[in-house]
Amino acid sequence: MVTRKRFKAAGALAASALLLAVSACSQGSSTKQPEPGGQSSGPANIKIAYQQWGPGTTMKTFLAGVKSEYEAANPGSTVEVLPIVASENDYYTKLQLMMRSPNTAPDVVYEDTFLINSDITAGYLRPLDDYIAKWDQWGQFEETAKGAAKALDGKTYGVPDGTDTRALWYNKQIFAKAGLPTDWQPKTWDDVLTAARTIKAKVPGVTPFNIYSGKPMGEASAMQGFEMLLYGTKDSLYNSDQQKWVVGSQGFKDSLNFIKTVFTEGIGPSPKQALDPNMGSKVGTELLPEGKLGIALDGSWIYGNWQKTGAKPWPQWTEVMGQTAMPTQDGGGKGKVSLSGGWTWAIPAKSKNPDAAWNLIKTLQTQKNAAKYATDGAQIAVRKDVAADEGYKSSSKSTQFFTDLVSVTVYRPAYAEYPKVSNEIITAMEAVMTGQSSVDDAAKNYDEAVEGIVGKDKTTAGQ
Amino acid sequence: MTTTVAPAPVASKPGRNGKPRTANLFKMLPLTPAIGLMLVFLAGPILYCIYAAFTNMALTGTGAANVTFVGLDNFRKAFGSGAFSNAIWLTLVFTLVSAIIGQNTLGLGLALLMRKSTKVVRNFVGTAVIGAWVLPEVVAAYLLSAFFNEEGTLNVMLHAVGLPGQDWLYAAPIIAVSLANIWRGTAFSMLVYSAALSEVPKEIEESAEMDGAGGWRRLVFVTLPMISRAIMTNLMLITLQTLSVFGLIYAMTRGGPGTKSQTLPLYMYEQAFSFSQIGYGTAIALVMLAIGAVFSLIYLRGLNSEAA
Amino acid sequence: MIARDRISKLASNLVLLAIGILFVLPLLWVLFASINRTAGLRVEFPTDPTLGNFKAVLNTDTTYRPVLNGIVLCGGAALLTMVCAVLAAYPLSRFKSRFNRPFLLTVLFCTGLPITAVMVPVYGLFVQLNLVDTLGGTIMFMATSSLPFAIWLTKTFMDGVPISLEEAAWVDGASNMRALKSIVLPLMWPGIAVVLIFTFIGMWGNFFVPFMLLLSPERLPASVSIFTFFGQYGEPNYGQLAAYSLIYTTPVLLLYLLLSRKLGGAFALGGAIKG
Repeated sequence: MVTRKRFKAAGALAASALLLAVSACSQGSSTKQPEPGGQSSGPANIKIAYQQWGPGTTMKTFLAGVKSEYEAANPGSTVEVLPIVASENDYYTKLQLMMRSPNTAPDVVYEDTFLINSDITAGYLRPLDDYIAKWDQWGQFEETAKGAAKALDGKTYGVPDGTDTRALWYNKQIFAKAGLPTDWQPKTWDDVLTAARTIKAKVPGVTPFNIYSGKPMGEASAMQGFEMLLYGTKDSLYNSDQQKWVVGSQGFKDSLNFIKTVFTEGIGPSPKQALDPNMGSKVGTELLPEGKLGIALDGSWIYGNWQKTGAKPWPQWTEVMGQTAMPTQDGGGKGKVSLSGGWTWAIPAKSKNPDAAWNLIKTLQTQKNAAKYATDGAQIAVRKDVAADEGYKSSSKSTQFFTDLVSVTVYRPAYAEYPKVSNEIITAMEAVMTGQSSVDDAAKNYDEAVEGIVGKDKTTAGQ
Repeated sequence: MTTTVAPAPVASKPGRNGKPRTANLFKMLPLTPAIGLMLVFLAGPILYCIYAAFTNMALTGTGAANVTFVGLDNFRKAFGSGAFSNAIWLTLVFTLVSAIIGQNTLGLGLALLMRKSTKVVRNFVGTAVIGAWVLPEVVAAYLLSAFFNEEGTLNVMLHAVGLPGQDWLYAAPIIAVSLANIWRGTAFSMLVYSAALSEVPKEIEESAEMDGAGGWRRLVFVTLPMISRAIMTNLMLITLQTLSVFGLIYAMTRGGPGTKSQTLPLYMYEQAFSFSQIGYGTAIALVMLAIGAVFSLIYLRGLNSEAA
Repeated sequence: MIARDRISKLASNLVLLAIGILFVLPLLWVLFASINRTAGLRVEFPTDPTLGNFKAVLNTDTTYRPVLNGIVLCGGAALLTMVCAVLAAYPLSRFKSRFNRPFLLTVLFCTGLPITAVMVPVYGLFVQLNLVDTLGGTIMFMATSSLPFAIWLTKTFMDGVPISLEEAAWVDGASNMRALKSIVLPLMWPGIAVVLIFTFIGMWGNFFVPFMLLLSPERLPASVSIFTFFGQYGEPNYGQLAAYSLIYTTPVLLLYLLLSRKLGGAFALGGAIKG
C-alpha cells in the first residue's frame, strides 16, 4: 500500500522534472522579442563573450579598451567581458548552451563564420538588418564581407571584424641550408613534397612541413589542412550548380593521400605531435620562431604572434619568413588556392538588451577600433577605410601578399550542415594519418556519413 | 594500519535478527531529501535523455531549432557504424582488462599477501596503493601520461633491462589507459577484500590445513567461497564504475590517436558535445546503460545463487 | 612446517614490495619534477632543487581561489550528500518494506551512470531553475550524482550496527530520529568517515560538472583550473604542473590522513562493501 503510494508520488515528481527539463531544452523560437529600436537603449548591463585560449591576449586587450570607451560614452551602462576559457569545440558547446536561454545568453557573441549558419538555423541569433539599415558605416564594408554572415533567408546576422587567407609560410634560413631557393614558388603539390623531402634529408632536427590534421585541431584541420588541398583538385565539397554535396570524388581521395604521404614519410610532425590540441599555438609561438619548422601551411594572421603585442615577439620574422601561395594539385586552374573565413560579432536571439548590444557592436566597429583590431589581431581588413589606412597597410610585411590572395580565395559552403561535414573530414584525416584505415576506407566512411547528414538525394558524384 | 576498526560483522542483517518491522509512510519519511534530489537532478534528466535518444536533437543547426522524433534512427545509425562497434569493443576490452582482471585480481592478491607479510611491508604497500587512489583524476592522468611517455619512466626501466621502449600512449593506447585504470583503482578492491578476509575465521582455514589441503587448494576451496559475496559485489561495483570512466582517458589520450582508445563514454562525449549531436549522443548513453544493466544482472544472479 | 611458513612469508613480502614499487614509480615523477627547474617528462632527480615552481603557481588566480572554491564546492556537496545518505539509509536499513529491494537495486545501478550523458538536460534544468553559474546549484547536482553510491555504502554500514540497542531506546519512547542520532550514528562514525572520503575524493577530481555548470572564472574550482591553466599553452611547464598537482592533491590527502588515523587504519575503509 505504502509503497504504491510512494511510487505514485515519485512518478508525479519525475514527470514534473521531465517537463521542466523539456521546456528548458526545447527552443522556444516563439519567445517574444522586443522590436529593434522599439525601446530606448537606456543604461544597460551588456555581456560580451569571446574565446580565451592559449597565450594570446590581443582580444582581451582590445575588448578592455572598447569596454572603457563604451562605458565612458554611455554613463550608467556597464560592459561585462566574459572570457570563455575553453578550447575550440568546448567554446562552441558552451556558447550554444548559454544562448539557449535568456537567463544565460550573452548580449554580444563572437562567432566563427563557419559555424554561424548552423547557429542561425538553430535560431540562436538575431537578424541585424533593421539596425544595419540605419547604420552609416555599413557602406564601408566590402561586398564579400557583407555576405559572410548572411543566411539563406537573405538576412544578415553578424558584423565581420576581419577576414583571412591561407598560404605557405617558409623559413628562408632553413631553405638556404637545404639548398632550396629562398624565393620559393612551388607550382604543384609535388613541388611542396619535394621541398619537404629535401629539408628532411639536408637539415636534420627540423620538422620539414606542417599541415594541420586530425580531430584535436578541429576546423583548422578541415580548412587550413584538408580544404586547401581539396580546392586545388578538380573537386570540391559542394556542387553549387546542383546544390548538392560531393561524395566519392577522386579529389577527396587525392587530398587524403597527400595527408597520408606527409605523415607516413615523416616529412611532417609526428602524428602524436600533430594530434596535440595546442598544435596551432605551438606552430606560431614555438616551432616557427625557434626555427624548428621549414614550411607551414597556415593562416595570414600567424604573424600576429610575433608582433610587439603578440604572444611571442619576434621582430626578425620579416627577414626569416617567406610567404608563397599554396599551389593546386598539378598547377591547373588558377594555379593557386586560398580559403577565407573570419569571425563576426553577433547578437543572440535571447539577448535582453539587443539595442545596447548593437551600440556596443558599433563601438567595436568604429573605423579607429576596426583598424586597431585588424592591425593587432593580424586580420585582413574588411572595411574599405581600414584597408586604405596607412597604419594598417604598413603594419606587416605580409599584409599585401595575403590581401592579394583574396582574388583567388574560396569560401566554405555556407550551409548549416557544414560543421557536421567538417567533423567527418577531420575524422577521415585522423584515421588516415594514424594508419588506422586506408585512404579508400576513410573516403568511403566519409561518403556514408555525409549521405547520413544531408540525405542521399542531396549528394552528387565528383568530377 | 590495522584491521581492527572495521565495523561489526556482516552477518547481522537487521530485521532478521530482530523482529521484522514493517514500514509505514511516516517511518519512510527520512528518505524524502535523497529521493527529492535524485528525482529532480537525476531521474528528470535521465527521462529526458530517453526522450532525446529518439530525436534529432542537436546543439546547433536544424536539430536545435526543430526537434523532431526520428524513431530508432539513432540506434540504427549506431549499430551500422564502424566507430560505434569500435567503441563497444574497446569498452569491453577496457572493462575486462582493467577492472575484472586487473583491479579485481590484483586487489585480491594484495589482500591475501598482506595477511602473510610483515607490518612494515604491509604499511608501505598499502600507502602506495591507496595513494594512487586518493589522487585527483586529472593529476593521476598527468602522472601516468608522463610515465607512459616516450622518454618516461616506463621506457627508462625497459631500456635498463635491454628491452625496446615505445611511445605507449601512441602505440598501444588502450593498454596504457587500462594499466592506468588498474593503477588508480586497485585500492578499492584491495580494501574490500582486506575487510572481507579479516572476517574469515582463522580456525576454518587452519583446520583445512590440518586436513592436508595445500595453499592453492585451500584458497580455491575454502577461502574464496567464504568471501564469494564480497567478490560478486566488488565485481559489480568496479565493473559499473569502469564502464563509465571518462576523465582518466580523456585527459590521457582524448580517445585517440584516431579512435584507438575511444571507449563508449568518449565516443558519446565526442558525438554529443564536440559534434553537437545530442540525440545521437544520448542514444549511445542508453546503450551504455544497457550494457551496465546486463553486467549487473549477471552479478546479481551470482549473488542470489550464493544466498540460496 | 615452520620453515615453510617462513619461506612463504618471505615470498609474500618480496612480491608485495615489488608491487608496491610499481605503484610508487609514477608518483616519483611528480615529486622530482615539482622541485626541478627544467623538468621534462623524464624522471630525474633535480641536480639543483628549487621551490621556484611552487612560488610561480602560488597566487590568487591560479591556486588560492580555485582551491578555496573547490573546498566550498566539494565540501558543501559532500556534507549534503552525507546528510541525505544517512537519513535515507536509516529506514532502508531498519524497516522491512517491499520498496527496499527495488529501490536499492536502482540506487546501485545509478552508481554506474555516465554523468556526462545527462549533462545537457541538467544544463537545461539549471537554466530553468536559474541555477547556472551558482555554487549552490552546482553543489546540489554534485551531491545528487554521488548520492546513489553514498546511500548504498551508508546502508551497508548501518546494517552492521545491531538493532537490539535501538529497540531498548524505542521502548523508552525515543523517536526514530533520536535513536539514529544518539545510538546509531555514534556507533557507525567510522562508516560515515569512509563514505565522506569516498564522496569527497570523487568530487574533488571532478572536472566536467563544474566546467559545464559554472561560467564565471572566479567561481571555478581547482579541478577545472588545472585543466585550463595547463591545457592551453602549448607544451606545459612541467615543473609548475607537478607543483600545482601536489598543491591540488594536498586537501584530499589531509582529509584522508586525518580520517584514516581516527579510524585506526586505512583498512577499515573496506568494511563498507561486504555485500
